[in-house]
Amino acid sequence: MQFTLKSKGRARGLLAMATVSTMVVASGAFVSATANASSGGTVTIGESTTLSGSIAELGQTGLEGVQFAAATINAHGGLLGKQIKVVSADDAATPATGASNARNFILNDHAVAIFGPVVSSVAAAEEPIATQYKVPIFFHTSNDVALLTSDFTKYAFQVVPNTVMEPRAAAAYLAHAVGKKKITIGTFAPNYSFGTSTVAGFIQALKDLHVNYTLVNQQFPPLEATNIAPYLSALVAAHPQYVFNAQFGGDLVTFSKQAAQYGFFKHTKVIAMYSASPLEALGSQAPAGAIGFDRAPFWAAGMTGMNGAGMASFITAFKAKYHAYPSAWAIMAYTAVQTWAYGVNKAHTFAGAKVSAVLSGATVPTIRGPLYLRACDHQANVPEYVGTVSSSMNTKYHLHLWESNIFVAQASQIMLTCKQSLALRG
Amino acid sequence: MAQFLTEAMGTLSDAGSLFVVAAGLTLVFGAMRVINLAHGSFYMYGAFLMTTFVGTSSGLRFWWSILLAALVVGALGLVVQLGVVRFVVGKEPLTQLVATFAVFYILADIGLHIWGDGARTVMAPLAVSSSFTLAGAYLPVYDLVIIGCAVLVGLALWLVLGHTSLGWMIRAAVDDPEILQSGGVNLRRLHLGVFTAGALLAALAGAIVTPQISVAPGMDQSIIVTSLLVVVIGGLGSVVGTALAALIIGIADTVGTLVAPNWAATFMYFAVILVLVVRPWGLFGTPER
Amino acid sequence: MALSMNDQPRAALTTTDHTAPRATPARRALRPMAIVVGLIVLVVLGMTLSPSNALELQYATSLALFAVATNLMLGFGGLVSFGQGVFYGVGAYTVALGWMHHSLSFGEAMVVAPFLGAAIAVVLGALALRTRRLYFALLTLTLSQLAYVIAENQANFTGGTNGVFGSMVPTWLLDPRNSFLFTLALVAVSIAILWKVTRSPFGLVLRAIRDNRSRVEALGVNVFAHELAAFVVSGFFCSVAGTLFVVYSQSSYPELLNWTSSGVPIFMAVIGGMYSFLGPVLGAFVYEFANHFLIQYTQDWQLVLGVVLLVIVLLRPDGLAGAGSAVAARVRHLRTVRATHDERPGVAETGEGDAS
Repeated sequence: MQFTLKSKGRARGLLAMATVSTMVVASGAFVSATANASSGGTVTIGESTTLSGSIAELGQTGLEGVQFAAATINAHGGLLGKQIKVVSADDAATPATGASNARNFILNDHAVAIFGPVVSSVAAAEEPIATQYKVPIFFHTSNDVALLTSDFTKYAFQVVPNTVMEPRAAAAYLAHAVGKKKITIGTFAPNYSFGTSTVAGFIQALKDLHVNYTLVNQQFPPLEATNIAPYLSALVAAHPQYVFNAQFGGDLVTFSKQAAQYGFFKHTKVIAMYSASPLEALGSQAPAGAIGFDRAPFWAAGMTGMNGAGMASFITAFKAKYHAYPSAWAIMAYTAVQTWAYGVNKAHTFAGAKVSAVLSGATVPTIRGPLYLRACDHQANVPEYVGTVSSSMNTKYHLHLWESNIFVAQASQIMLTCKQSLALRG
Repeated sequence: MAQFLTEAMGTLSDAGSLFVVAAGLTLVFGAMRVINLAHGSFYMYGAFLMTTFVGTSSGLRFWWSILLAALVVGALGLVVQLGVVRFVVGKEPLTQLVATFAVFYILADIGLHIWGDGARTVMAPLAVSSSFTLAGAYLPVYDLVIIGCAVLVGLALWLVLGHTSLGWMIRAAVDDPEILQSGGVNLRRLHLGVFTAGALLAALAGAIVTPQISVAPGMDQSIIVTSLLVVVIGGLGSVVGTALAALIIGIADTVGTLVAPNWAATFMYFAVILVLVVRPWGLFGTPER
Repeated sequence: MALSMNDQPRAALTTTDHTAPRATPARRALRPMAIVVGLIVLVVLGMTLSPSNALELQYATSLALFAVATNLMLGFGGLVSFGQGVFYGVGAYTVALGWMHHSLSFGEAMVVAPFLGAAIAVVLGALALRTRRLYFALLTLTLSQLAYVIAENQANFTGGTNGVFGSMVPTWLLDPRNSFLFTLALVAVSIAILWKVTRSPFGLVLRAIRDNRSRVEALGVNVFAHELAAFVVSGFFCSVAGTLFVVYSQSSYPELLNWTSSGVPIFMAVIGGMYSFLGPVLGAFVYEFANHFLIQYTQDWQLVLGVVLLVIVLLRPDGLAGAGSAVAARVRHLRTVRATHDERPGVAETGEGDAS
């Protein structure tokens, strides 16, 4: 319930309170308020994301990406002459809290753009709020395909590979590795829209690629479950050769540690979001030979989709400021702010309707290279990266990362066609 | 066979840790007629203290950390008993529930201040963090540790409650408090001892399961719900009932995930409803007057 | 005293009812006036506050109904149900799922929801009321959690963990002032009906059961039927409150059903005063506004709530309303004293301070 969940803690400033007391009496005043309330040399954007719990790392580094982007823009004179102010709040991975945060950003902080949460269910809750108040919303971490299909709104944009693209990339890599061999497969994913739709996407992709597989076990533990033992032992007992795991962050780390107690990795190849930070957390326990996928691995800088002007200097500057390499979440969040700023500059206004209209169908220059936001569903043409977890330390970054043969699944290969996307809109 | 072994081992280990927590809850109820909703907080504190004491080490430190965590939380239990619970002994269920729920909130908040809101993990010593093979099944060694611990706790409770004068006093504390006091027993001190022991058991369970879970805020809430189910099925106050009920819940959970994954989470609740409809006071409980 | 019409607890802290003359004509007129003034203040606040604060007020208003409906069982029936979240959630989900599955319009859902809640209450009540006291509390808690995990896992029907979000509320209700007035009207009517229920012979028997179950049983009264009826009426109005949650948030999600959600109206009743009819209303407003504003200043809402609950439950089991009427009684008492003993005027001042 909202009143108990809100108490998980929000990092809201006192400034928000000052504006609370401002009375807005005229009916429908909020809509116009969003466009003109940002006077006084600053303009506010809001990042509501998961800042607590086992998946908090995704939200925290994503927030860093947003803040870093705003700081960079501010250092270059701001946007339309205004300095960008970032307000943030923790959604505790709870849809209701996310929706309430988004509403507070818009009504109290007069935010002119909202940047997206970690969890797709939270994103789905914020989307109608953004639409109601005509404020653009950018999803840079949550990636459920439904956000831009069945839930489509012209105010929403997605700069991450969605739940069709990501599993398709992983499936393509697997299909290439196993060829015509007969294999057994298990799946393990958090029990909410992202988990179920990613798993469904993966299975569908295997079918499309004519992989000769048998599905032996599927488990859907709750997101952020502290005890996954019953689910894990059921999976282990089924002896799958491959397991597609759609967990992320701390949940994936826990899974990997516990699965190791069963000697699971000796006989099973796990396919999961083994990006830099879970691999770093696992250290020497990192499951060598497992298949990792990642949306924007910094160590792929220079490859397709990670080769924009300023990528190298971004990584250096980010590392200098935060003493860590930018996570995929930070890179995508940074890109999202760049995208919004591009729209504002093109539209010469912060007004949501105009910014959204300009961005629809635009090609935006970002640190990742040009991003094309197609008009039919506002999905950016971003690739997905797949590789094999290495058993040795990467000499350049001093982390256990992937073997050097990284597979880049191009957006054109893994995206739904506009026709398919529109069909899903129903 | 291999599948059965894996599942059986997982079930036993889950039931084992659940039994240790719930035993503390039911012990307190048995002696004081208080349901302590803050019991889950003791469990969580046990786990978090474990992360603090063990840190990144994977050596012998693990074992004495368990002991230390349980003792520290035992002391915390002492404080809670003296500060709050002793005032609600003998009061209405509502008063007891709200008071201990209040303690639950307070401890949750303090926990956030101490350990933050992220998730932590603990590594078991190498000797027990691997797996062994039995009839083709890979089984975690650590499951044996948990099962062993549960058996030891069960035996100890059976010995103390059933075969010592202390056990007799604990059992008599609710039914014949006057006789006890006229016999020179300090009831207040007895309550204090039992409550501390209950907190200690919760923390022991919380500490011992750390290598198999991620330690995070909110585990206080999920464990209190499950252990309430256990003690209700077993019959409030009955240790034997609690052991049986922990097994029932463990099996319900496992069978659920195997038979109907989509409905798995509901199995244990249906088990409770079924038991209470047939026996409104639980398997080994006594009807409330 | 047990069967008298006043709302004092049987474990009353005794400062009030013996000394105070109850319901003199002047006081009898005072109460409806106070309610009318309260309503007017609410309406004015709702019209003038900033949109987000007005929304908060609307939310607190709907929670007031949730608390009063829960308190019908808690304060009047002596039944501690940790399962009222089920009915709150059923109310919310009826509107949300009716919209999602295109099966019920908003208006239809608003009508259907309370009856659905009541029907479910008949079944769950018949189950739960087989148990007594603590077992009843724990069984209702179990039912609450069961409803919660069903809502979470049957994603095809309920939307799963995501819950249901969308434009399920008619456009005119999106205007914060309209939705506030709508909520206030529905809550006021519902609470008035609940008031009538507690004043009816049924309400009287219910309180008699609370105070002395075996005696009432011996008189040949069907205790089970009365308690079940209370359960059903409470379920009905908890569902009404649940539909208002949708008006507030245009969403429904599984957490509405679980045991912490069920605990909230209990806390509100305890804070406001469960032995007074309107105590829970006071509790709801205090709780929700404290929550809303404290969270912006401090992360320690749980700590504050915990301490407040502890203080109340240990020192003032009759809550704020009880404390308030104790103060009022003391003041009245002292006034009488002052009137009769004109020579000791100073006592009133110090006495007033002590009373709280």
